[in-house]
Amino acid sequence: MTTKGNPEKRLKVMTVCGVGMGSSLILRTTAEKALKQLGLEVDLEHVDVSSARSIDADVIIGQAMHTEEFEDAAPVVVTISDFTDVEALKGKLKEALEAQGWLT
Amino acid sequence: MADVEGAVLTARSRVEVDGWQEAIRASCQPLLEAEAIEERYVERCIEMVEDEGPYVVVAPGIALAHARPEDGVKRLCLSVVTLAAPVEFGHSENDPVDLVFAFGSPDSTQHVSLLRNLARALQADLADKLRTANTVEEVESLIQGIVQDVKED
Repeated sequence: MTTKGNPEKRLKVMTVCGVGMGSSLILRTTAEKALKQLGLEVDLEHVDVSSARSIDADVIIGQAMHTEEFEDAAPVVVTISDFTDVEALKGKLKEALEAQGWLT
Repeated sequence: MADVEGAVLTARSRVEVDGWQEAIRASCQPLLEAEAIEERYVERCIEMVEDEGPYVVVAPGIALAHARPEDGVKRLCLSVVTLAAPVEFGHSENDPVDLVFAFGSPDSTQHVSLLRNLARALQADLADKLRTANTVEEVESLIQGIVQDVKED
């Protein structure tokens, strides 16, 4: 995957949760699968919300209670309530990435 | 790999609880009995939800309780409890909860393979299988299956 205007750069995707150990890791595993199915190779990281504030990412994924505060922190912010639903996440990511022109 | 093989795994089936705090206690109790965690870890798991919100409810009906390594974890461990009746965690979309997992990791990395495999199992049909399991032995073998998968990973 390449981003517009910078074809060498891989997308940086961050999954977030309160502690950055459990929920965000479950979500990361689901995001990995979804992104792979979309044909994207990305850099993935799972972090707690407070660390996430100081990290630049292209895509942030988390539950509503966590993504609300990241609305303007990344070009793409995806909110998902079921961290184990690959299909649902894939659909949301596809739509959001296409809107950015990052996926065609 | 070695981490996972030494992990403490426990299962309880159709446990009766009153409220989400009791559900978390029930999920931690077998780990406490196995001396994988300290008493204070259980309280921290509850405080996490009180402080940070019900984000531990990671999917419809499924909670993943945990705190931090420094909160009193002795060994890598994972517990699953199926509830006799579901409880509300206060999650806007994923309530009510009838499957409660609890895990503890002695550091920030030992749990990674175990949880990744738990995630893969949940992406498949682990939740349905747990919900229809009739005996604690069935629940136990489902949770052991996650470790088998890790070994094969």
